[in-house]
Amino acid sequence: MNYMDLWKKACIKIGTPTNLIAAFTAFIPVLYLCIHYNCWPDVSLILSAWGLTLVAFGAFYIVEPVSYYAALGMSGTYLSFLSGNIGNMRVPCASLALDVTDSESGTLQAEIVSTMAICGSIVTNLIATTLAAFVGSAIVAILPLVIKTGLQSYASAAIFGATFGNFSLKQPKLAIFGIGIPVICKILTSYIGIPAWLIIVLSVFGTVGIARIFYTKAKKAAA
Amino acid sequence: MDNLQISNQPIMWVLCGITVLVAAIQTVLFIRLAKKTSKEVELNPEIPNKAFKIGLISAIGPAAGVFIVMVGLMAAIGGPMSWMRLSIIGAAATELAAATNGATAAGVTFGGEGYTLTILAVSWFAMALNGAGWLICTGLFTPSLEKLRDKMSGGDMGWLGAMSAACSIGIFGYLNANSMVAKGPSINIPTTAAVLAAALSMMFIGKVITPKHPRLAEYSLGIAMIIGIIAGIVVEGITA
Repeated sequence: MNYMDLWKKACIKIGTPTNLIAAFTAFIPVLYLCIHYNCWPDVSLILSAWGLTLVAFGAFYIVEPVSYYAALGMSGTYLSFLSGNIGNMRVPCASLALDVTDSESGTLQAEIVSTMAICGSIVTNLIATTLAAFVGSAIVAILPLVIKTGLQSYASAAIFGATFGNFSLKQPKLAIFGIGIPVICKILTSYIGIPAWLIIVLSVFGTVGIARIFYTKAKKAAA
Repeated sequence: MDNLQISNQPIMWVLCGITVLVAAIQTVLFIRLAKKTSKEVELNPEIPNKAFKIGLISAIGPAAGVFIVMVGLMAAIGGPMSWMRLSIIGAAATELAAATNGATAAGVTFGGEGYTLTILAVSWFAMALNGAGWLICTGLFTPSLEKLRDKMSGGDMGWLGAMSAACSIGIFGYLNANSMVAKGPSINIPTTAAVLAAALSMMFIGKVITPKHPRLAEYSLGIAMIIGIIAGIVVEGITA
C-alpha cells in the first residue's frame, strides 16, 4: 500500500468516530436539561422544529461536503465539518498555505499542508470562542463602535472577497464565470425564487463545467 | 431562575465543554498524524510547521469576527451553548434560526412570553439535530466523497487540480454574490465595496508585493481582510 492510501485510511480512522461522537455529545446539555428539570417536550414538537430546520438547512448537509471536498481533501473535510467556519476560515487558510508552500493539489504534501493549516486555524478559533465565553462581554463593552460594526458587518465579506481574489489571480477567465453565475442566480431569485442550495450547486458545477471546456481546449491546443 | 440563568449554570459549561473537547482532540490527532506522515515521507519539517503557522495567523481576522458575533449570541442562548455551537459546525445565524424554529413550532416567540423551559429544550434539540446533519453526513460519507472526486477527475492529475480550483472559485463566487446582491434585487453597496477592496488588494499583494517579499505572503489574507473591512466602513459612512 502506498503512503497516500495509508494516509487516507488513517484519516478515516480518526475522522469517522470523532465526527459521529460529536454529533451525539452535542445532545448532552439538552438531555441534562430535560432530565434535571423534568421538562421533556413532546416528540411531535421536536420533530416539527426539526422539520422547519431541515427545510432551511437540510440540503446543505449534502451539498456543502460535496462542494467543499475538492478544496478540503479528506482530513480537511472531517476537521472542517466538525469545527465549522469553513468558508470564512478553513478554506482560505488551507488555500493560502498550499500557495505559500508551493504544494500541488492531489499530492501527499498538499494533504499534509492543508491539514496543518486547518488545524492551526482551529486552534485560533477555539481560543477565540473560549475567550469570548469568559471575557467577551467585558471586551466588547470597551471596543469602539466602529470596530464592532466593522467586524460584524464586513469581516466575512472581506475574507470571502480576499479568497476569491487569490483564486482569480490564477484563473482570471474562470473567475468571471465563477462570480457571474451566482450573481445572475441571486438577481433572478428575487423574481422566480431559487433555493440557496440550488444556487450553490449551479455555481459550483457550472464553474466546473466551464473549467472543463477551458481544460479540454488547452489540452487540444497543446497536442 | 429564568431560562438564561438556567442556560448559564456552571454545570452547563462542563456539559458543553465535552463537545468542544472532542473537536480539540480531533485536531490534536490530525496534527500528530500529519507530523508522523511528514517524517515517514521525509518531507522538510519546515513545510508542515509553516502551514500550521499560516493557519494560526490567517484565522485571527475571521476569529475576531466570530468573537464579536458570539458575544451577541450569548445574550440570546446563553454562554455555554454559544461556546459549544460556535466551536463546532454552525454559525450564529444558523443556530439562531434553529433555536427560533423551536419556538415557532410551539407557537410562541423566541425568548418571549410562553417561552418556557420545555420550549427551551425544543430549541436546544433543534440546534443539536441540525448540527448532527453535517456531522453524521461527513462522519459516514467522506470516503464516498473521495471516490466521487476520483471518478470526476478520471485519474487525470492536471484536471484534478483544475477541477479543485473551479469548485473553490464557484463556492466563493456564491459566497461573494451573497454579500453583494440583496433581495429586491438590489446591490448592497458597502459590503460590495468590502468584497472588491479585499479581492483587489489580495490580487495586488499576490502580483506585485509577494514576488519581491515572499515572507509577506503569509500575512496577505489578514492584510487584504483589514483593507476590505476599512473599505466597507468608509463606504457605509459616505453612503449613509
